[in-house]
Amino acid sequence: MGAAGSKLEKALGDQFPEGERYFGLENFGNTCYCNSVLQALYFCVPFREQLLDYFANNKSIGDVEENLLTCLADLFSQISSQKKKTGVIAPKRFVQRLKKQNELFRSYMHQDAHEFLNFLLNELVDILEKEAQAVKSDPETSSPSDKIANGPKNAQANGALKEPLVTWVHKNFQGILTNETRCLRCETVTARDETFFDLSLDIEQNSSITSCLKNFSSTETLNAEDKFFCDKCCSLQEAQKRMKIKKPPHILVIHLKRFKYIEQLGRYKKLSYRVVFPLELKLSNTMEDADSEYSLFAVVVHVGSGPNHGHYTFFGSAQEYSSNTDHGYILFYECLGSTSNKS
Amino acid sequence: MHSNANGMLSTAAAAASSANTAVQSPGLKTYFKTPEGRYKLHYEKTHPSGLLHYAHGKTVTQVSLAHLKDKPAPSTPTAPSSSFSSSSGVRSAAARLLGGSNGSRALSFVGGNGGSKINGGNSRIGSLGSSSSSNSMGSSNFDGKGSYLVFNVGDAIFISDLNSQDKDPIKSIHFSNSNPVCHAFDQDAKDGHDLIIGLISGDVYSVSLRQQLQDVGKKLVGAQHYNKDGSVNNSRCTSIAWVPGGDGTFVVAHADGNLYVYEKGKDGANDSSFPFVKDPMQFSIAHARYSKSNPLARWHICQGSINSIAFSTDGAYLATVGRDGYLRVFDYYKEQLVCGGKSYYGALLCCAWSMDGKYILTGGEDDLVQVWSMEDRKVVAWGEGHNSWVSGVFFDSYWSSPNSEGTGETVMYRFGSVGQDTQLLLWDLEMDEIVVPLRRPPGGSPTYSTGSQSAHWDSACPVGNLQPAPSTRDVPKISPVVAHRVHTEPLSGLIFTQESVLTVCREGHIKIWMRPGVGESQSNNSETLSSASFKEKPLFSSKVGSSSYKL
Repeated sequence: MGAAGSKLEKALGDQFPEGERYFGLENFGNTCYCNSVLQALYFCVPFREQLLDYFANNKSIGDVEENLLTCLADLFSQISSQKKKTGVIAPKRFVQRLKKQNELFRSYMHQDAHEFLNFLLNELVDILEKEAQAVKSDPETSSPSDKIANGPKNAQANGALKEPLVTWVHKNFQGILTNETRCLRCETVTARDETFFDLSLDIEQNSSITSCLKNFSSTETLNAEDKFFCDKCCSLQEAQKRMKIKKPPHILVIHLKRFKYIEQLGRYKKLSYRVVFPLELKLSNTMEDADSEYSLFAVVVHVGSGPNHGHYTFFGSAQEYSSNTDHGYILFYECLGSTSNKS
Repeated sequence: MHSNANGMLSTAAAAASSANTAVQSPGLKTYFKTPEGRYKLHYEKTHPSGLLHYAHGKTVTQVSLAHLKDKPAPSTPTAPSSSFSSSSGVRSAAARLLGGSNGSRALSFVGGNGGSKINGGNSRIGSLGSSSSSNSMGSSNFDGKGSYLVFNVGDAIFISDLNSQDKDPIKSIHFSNSNPVCHAFDQDAKDGHDLIIGLISGDVYSVSLRQQLQDVGKKLVGAQHYNKDGSVNNSRCTSIAWVPGGDGTFVVAHADGNLYVYEKGKDGANDSSFPFVKDPMQFSIAHARYSKSNPLARWHICQGSINSIAFSTDGAYLATVGRDGYLRVFDYYKEQLVCGGKSYYGALLCCAWSMDGKYILTGGEDDLVQVWSMEDRKVVAWGEGHNSWVSGVFFDSYWSSPNSEGTGETVMYRFGSVGQDTQLLLWDLEMDEIVVPLRRPPGGSPTYSTGSQSAHWDSACPVGNLQPAPSTRDVPKISPVVAHRVHTEPLSGLIFTQESVLTVCREGHIKIWMRPGVGESQSNNSETLSSASFKEKPLFSSKVGSSSYKL
């Protein structure tokens, strides 16, 4: 979208968001999977702001070793400090760092945007956790630590309690799922909580995200080859399983499973199904009995026939969304708040 | 099921035995069962797809049902007499001889709404062999009555004869400058123009349907052009409707949240400018400064697109749905917002009134069919069953509840919905179950007077009060009676007629599903059926007239 910069500026006219920057990222050899995700993350305002805050606070520390977090922060601050409103930037340092870090992304093979997003978020969390740990073991430099990882759990100076650290990456992206399994013999319900950064949904032809989400949390029977080991019965039993969203995330990332492994072919096939996604969405929160309301802010689109081919692009405006229902790959929704169901 | 060879054979057989001309798409059944019996796929209507131009962008097909009455008197200037001495008659005869000029297949009037009664209802006969088309040549000059389907695909408007089994349209009209996106037919039009068409460019045309049928060209003839080149509003038309009993007035909704009121046949000079909309969030009405202006008024309804509009049968109320997810109900003559409410989430895409004006259906991006009660001024039921966005809703005004003759206590409504999930769903709404446990009107307890509804509604809650999105717990859910996958492409609309249900997909393929019992015994008899449907005022195009409900 970088090349169309000035055109975009003209098109948006008065509606050009105050202080917003629309920058394209230069593609150097199969890095569009990475660029499209970085674009989407840049348009994730709370994430961007917290990253820039982090960058501002860490500048003073100075000689932090270069890692993906600092490279990403550096890239975002480059974009946001541009004088022009639109243009193109080459995320060279970030991509170099990425390739250094993970051999998967080193080759010129085409990579999956969803895998990259997953890798990046987990990597950021690792870095933040390591930093927080380093701070804990060295209480002298405690002042910037609150800002690095401003989770409430971090306040405990003595890391005696092994509470999982809640970083601002968690605060933005993490949700909690409850995996409920009911043994059909003894009726015991086993509930297990899992955290997630994104929801991977199975898709069907001519369906909607609402319907895919419904299927995701619908009841599934485990039987035949796929029985459940019940702790109470101490044996494999038929069971019913369902996934409930216990705590919806602030940023809801939905990944559409467009690449399906076809055993006969021995490779992945792309499902070019038409899956429509509304600009607004509601998720029910089983814990608080409330609906969380979401608004779509970015879409990563995959155009092409397979996982090793094709092109990723990013869309950030409503007009563009509507024509991309056959190719929408990762959807980014931000929570606007929640409305209680109690009346 | 079949081997390949068999499959070929059966295709050939299907082509030969034309009793059901439906081409069977894989995995799609040609019937569906309901409590009252089987609906069978009777025939399909489509268009010569090779001729389409998508130069102006793809558009979604909408379909209008048009019933032409017998031509009132030969003195009408717009239509020539059937005599061949009239130049127009000669041209139309030439068209028949030239046949295929209209598409891949020959123009054919087989089994159509020919002017004479002999030819009127011979769909069975005509279908016995396609070669018989020549037999009926010259029989039709479109002077008589007939039922037609008007639908838009790409840059064209197609017109098909509803009572013929011929798949191809009998007429195509191409627009060179922009694509038509919405249209409406007024069967009670007193004179001349009865068909209105809205374009992507914002331009609007009114024409006489009969005159189009009689002309052989591929352009609109005798058209009146409104909002020329988008001079009043250049955003796309989204929905268009005649005002029931409005004496030739019609309204056009646009993608920028504005709606315009026009008077047909009035030449809008260049003086139809309206003041700038001060607050795009607020409903406001501006009237034209000069009495000669056309459009007469601009209603600014909402921010973002108005996606669909519908008048109540008596023309008193106008319902709109839009991008902002709100259903709004206006008192059309008072020009006031009466009530409305928000979807669960996302835009609303379609809306329709019950014949008695008591309920409004909406469908939208939350995959729900909502039932809005005018009495309660809120959503009284959610229909859950679509797996994607709901693109069309309609009440079946011809359906009579099996127990309606009895005590009269239970009022039942049948309605249908279609969605982008390619499904047609039919629903039964039993108001005793739905409404009574839920009645919590916002302003005091309403009285259930059967008298003037509007007076009663106006006192129930403050004018212009829009309800927020209801929460899942407060709305009773209903499930469909039938769910049937009818096409391979997302659906865009449906129409109920006396003898059938029509479904249309976005790409412009129409399927006609005969009601239980109609297909077999009465298929030779479509003339009587179609004239019966006249008296009954078909739901789609009838805007005036009393309710057909027994309440």
